[in-house]
Amino acid sequence: MTPSMPSFHSAAYELPDAFEANEFYQQQGWTDGLPIVPPTEERVAACLQAAALTPGDIVGVEGVRQRPITAEKVAINAVMAGCLPAYMPVVVAALRAMCEEPFNLHGSSASTGGSAQFIVVNGPIRTALGMNATHNVFGNGNRANATIGRAVRLVLINVLGCIPGQLDRSTLGHAGKFTFCIAEDEEDSPWTPLAQERGVPAGASAVTVLACEAPRQIMNEWTHDPEEILETFAAEMRHNMLTYSVWSGNYGLVIPKQLRELLVAAAWQKQDMREYLYRSARVRRREWTRVGKANVVARGGGPDQEFTALGTPDDLLVVAAGGPAGGFGAVIPPWFGSKARATTAVIDLPATQGVC
Amino acid sequence: MSIRVLDPTASTPNGEMRNTPRLATLAGCTVGLLDNGKIRARELLDHVEEILRNQHGVADVVRLRKPDASRPAPAAVVADMRQCDAIISAVGD
Repeated sequence: MTPSMPSFHSAAYELPDAFEANEFYQQQGWTDGLPIVPPTEERVAACLQAAALTPGDIVGVEGVRQRPITAEKVAINAVMAGCLPAYMPVVVAALRAMCEEPFNLHGSSASTGGSAQFIVVNGPIRTALGMNATHNVFGNGNRANATIGRAVRLVLINVLGCIPGQLDRSTLGHAGKFTFCIAEDEEDSPWTPLAQERGVPAGASAVTVLACEAPRQIMNEWTHDPEEILETFAAEMRHNMLTYSVWSGNYGLVIPKQLRELLVAAAWQKQDMREYLYRSARVRRREWTRVGKANVVARGGGPDQEFTALGTPDDLLVVAAGGPAGGFGAVIPPWFGSKARATTAVIDLPATQGVC
Repeated sequence: MSIRVLDPTASTPNGEMRNTPRLATLAGCTVGLLDNGKIRARELLDHVEEILRNQHGVADVVRLRKPDASRPAPAAVVADMRQCDAIISAVGD
């Protein structure tokens, strides 16, 4: 299908071929360092058509610097990232969610804390796009996972100016800043999918985004007891509170099949896990003594002051994902407590063309 | 045979943005000092205020504060800035 060519607002460049185009974009600082797919007008038009958007449509506005994100720029960056046109509605929804005020897009993307956007996709679009929710789910290997997350990062770089050393002041950053997008394994889990827990109707597709630090991997293969399993996650959350940031906020918990089956066998739902970890993932100020932070133990409420990882049980985002073997799991810490909240947006799909 | 590709950047949002002209002098001006809410920003700005008053002859200094470094300045703080001829934004930490 040849999309009709819309009228673009962006400057256009005539370049000899795709190799020269990549070199030109690299030299301009318009990439994340990896090669790009040249955003020809035809490919950009196809992305816009797949999301039923016109070039001037506003996907969202970054509120602090009043930067509108147009559909045209999103499509250009999506092509550069290597997206197929069918991925475009997911990229758009992720950016819409990130432009909601509670996500604090400016603060979380400019901060020295160096966060990335953890993007979780739910609903039928996951399978329609062939997204990965199993083996190596945080890693390489799936085009949709890799390029949707990368497209969002390229929009931040090119549209919002999140260039390292300029607006992006990250001290370290982390690998998720290249891409950090997964699907939830809804087919192999009896749990309520994340998006539905966050108010999206069953059968709809949605993305949830969280400004996060690098995932912390845990392992416990020595118990079938759900509380013991969750204690390992709780320990990692407490560790993050002591060594990184004590402030409560949205934590992500990614649970692969091996540990998930043990929790399911014990009839634990996501809500049971949230309530358990709300109670268990706590530290007292005096514990900073053993991680080299004795100087702040006497501040605030004093050594017995208690902090919770989660402000409420609902702060925990539980996601079923990961390969079938291995008693692993992951804790995904928030960038900076509740200063950036997870947000969820429904993926708008053009009525005429289904999910693809 | 060449290819035609599009610019991914948005360098001029909202149509046009331009820098405010520089002030020729601070003497007689009202200068706003915006504290970003982090620790020690206040002490830093105390020192800046002293320099502005003693060495540059500013007419007035308006002290402003963001309650949260990670979020935008509240509308009331932005409104207070409008009375100023210049703003100095300080990042404490």
